[in-house]
Amino acid sequence: MQRRLILRGIGASAVALPGLAACGTAGGGDMELSDEPVTLRLTWWGADTRAELTDQAIAAFESEHPNITVKGEFKDWAGYWDALATTTAANDSPDVIQMDELYLASYGDRGTLLDLADASDYLDTSAFEEATLAAGRIDGTQYAIPIGAGMLACVVNADLFAQYGVELPDDTWTWDDYAAVADELTEKSGGAVNGSSVTGGTDAGSIRYWARLHGNEVYSEDGEVTLDPTVLASLWEYNLALVESGGVESPAQSVESQGAGIEGGSLATGKIAMGFAYNTQITPLLAAGGADLRLLQLPGNAEAAANFVKPSMYWAISSQSEHPAEAATLVDFLVNHEAAADILGTERGIPANPAMREHVAADLDEGGRMAVDYLESAATGPAVAVTPNGGSGFDPMIQRYTQEVLFGERTPQEAAEAFIDELKTEIDAAA
Amino acid sequence: MSATTELRHLGKHGSTAKRQNKTAFLFLLPWFLGLFVITLGPMLASLILSFTDYNLLQPAEFSGLENFSRMLGDERLHRSLGVTFTYVLVSVPAQLSLALALAIVLDRGVRGLAFYRSMFYLPSLLGASVAIAVLWRMVFGADGLFNDGLGLLGIEGRGWISEPETALGTLITLNVWTFGSPMVIFLAGLRQIPAMYYEAASADGASRWRQFLSVTLPLLTPIIFFNLVLQIIHAFQSFTQAFIVSGGTGGPADSTLFYTLYLYQRGFGNFDMGYASALAWLLLLVIGAFTAINFWASKYWVFYND
Repeated sequence: MQRRLILRGIGASAVALPGLAACGTAGGGDMELSDEPVTLRLTWWGADTRAELTDQAIAAFESEHPNITVKGEFKDWAGYWDALATTTAANDSPDVIQMDELYLASYGDRGTLLDLADASDYLDTSAFEEATLAAGRIDGTQYAIPIGAGMLACVVNADLFAQYGVELPDDTWTWDDYAAVADELTEKSGGAVNGSSVTGGTDAGSIRYWARLHGNEVYSEDGEVTLDPTVLASLWEYNLALVESGGVESPAQSVESQGAGIEGGSLATGKIAMGFAYNTQITPLLAAGGADLRLLQLPGNAEAAANFVKPSMYWAISSQSEHPAEAATLVDFLVNHEAAADILGTERGIPANPAMREHVAADLDEGGRMAVDYLESAATGPAVAVTPNGGSGFDPMIQRYTQEVLFGERTPQEAAEAFIDELKTEIDAAA
Repeated sequence: MSATTELRHLGKHGSTAKRQNKTAFLFLLPWFLGLFVITLGPMLASLILSFTDYNLLQPAEFSGLENFSRMLGDERLHRSLGVTFTYVLVSVPAQLSLALALAIVLDRGVRGLAFYRSMFYLPSLLGASVAIAVLWRMVFGADGLFNDGLGLLGIEGRGWISEPETALGTLITLNVWTFGSPMVIFLAGLRQIPAMYYEAASADGASRWRQFLSVTLPLLTPIIFFNLVLQIIHAFQSFTQAFIVSGGTGGPADSTLFYTLYLYQRGFGNFDMGYASALAWLLLLVIGAFTAINFWASKYWVFYND
């Protein structure tokens, strides 16, 4: 009797498994506009400013399409990805999703995003440049459309340069020049400030740039990890030397700066005179500190033209959407219509659609102006491959290894090999 | 007694026992619903998922014991176990000793006992909250209050939570600081000890320390045991503090990578929900083992005075 009960219990669990398996993705609705009232859900990460602007854009869209109601949902970065994963797992994904480069393949490869080619009657991508669209493509399928363009830049605090009598460098500097300027700043300030932040190893962009300077790439076109451990190790060796000399802030200060975010970090609070940020982050940086900040080309770029445009974010449509045609119409409005561009401006990055970029250029604020000028003046190499499925954890992973190196727990070469192994394991496991 | 009569009254038509049961079940329904829907159901689901490669976005596929064999070679898992064991083995004894010491002081009959009791209890209410973790992060930052205080004493501070050597220690201190809830339980336990034992002991010329060792401690062992079991389980499950203080990374350099934090990173950061489910079950086993050892060992040191 007892045994039969247990067996029955196991039987019930076996029945439950197909139920769980259904947590995959189910197909969405038909690709045609409805005459009935339709409700769409639009989700994004970001702060209050973004929410206000997006709500205004939604209102403008709703007034053009009276039968469509759009419900906006927003969260901070970390919570956003937890929520997106769980709602997608529950087959309850929002219709229109703000997507990031790190996660694009993770979602696209797993069939949770709509192939935008299927929605071409409603979403026009003809205004975009081919290279821009390619950044939203996984294995030839257009899963997302870039909203804005960003590019890694060097931010210098001209006030601190003036205060300590250090000459502002020009755009043609090399990494050796950079180290010399950083050391000079620390020295002339008597240690009151440090010359620079750590110059790489806290995000994917800085690693990709460094690799390209050395004729290397982090990923190949087909999503293999091609990063050379010696190249990665040389980035850490460069920084260890600067930590030693004082040109770069201490590892502990660097950890705190990262934890404080862009508006509370060392660059915004004037603890360092040079650092790296995306060109569009100049707006929050200017707002936070009030110092005279300027964007310079990355060291070494004048010679190698290794920098690259990174879509700051994308719009994607869930393959679970009951109303893909309406969702595509909404995305079309957000990226192609002047009415939307007027409201959204450059808050999500310099518009990736050249027509919209030109349209908003007329009334940009100081930060926006600087960001556009930088984007247009920077020499760029070929486009970078999209982060493959399984690579979404790149940033926390590289930060962890960078900390281990800077705090002396591993040598650069050891850490570089271990990092590349771990990254490969994650990507193989997801494939 | 009155409840029983009430039930009898309800069941006055026909045979009573069945009806009484029904009523009881009806009253228990909300609890059962919670138990099955939000505890046992998800637990069963996670047990099944722990034998799959479930990645949240695609259907789960059975993968046998792969998740469990993978644990053997997972360096970060081993690191997180090391961090968690250190945290449990250091912070729980420290917290309980402090709780007991203060309970004894307060039990001596301090003026304004109720006030002190509330003050000491306050951190227990706040300790696991997000707000306190954020506050802690600011107090122990390189430019934080704590370093300002040290500066007044002429001591140079450091980044307590941003350096691997001190980050875990800071979190242990945060846990020790929430000694209030075991303290209140100790206080209640101390009140249960009959005064006549102390009278007899002092009549025999026992010093205060002797009284503590021979009267207080033996009679308090059931309470110590209760607190120990509870606080160990609680410490194993710590998540919020490490999550907030390290921004979810377990950093710097994995020095605060609590087990639960690693589990969360695997499940939600890396879409590795099958493995994360297996990790959850390993944690359950570890906590179960600790509790079992505790109960087994209690035979040798816990004294029940009844």
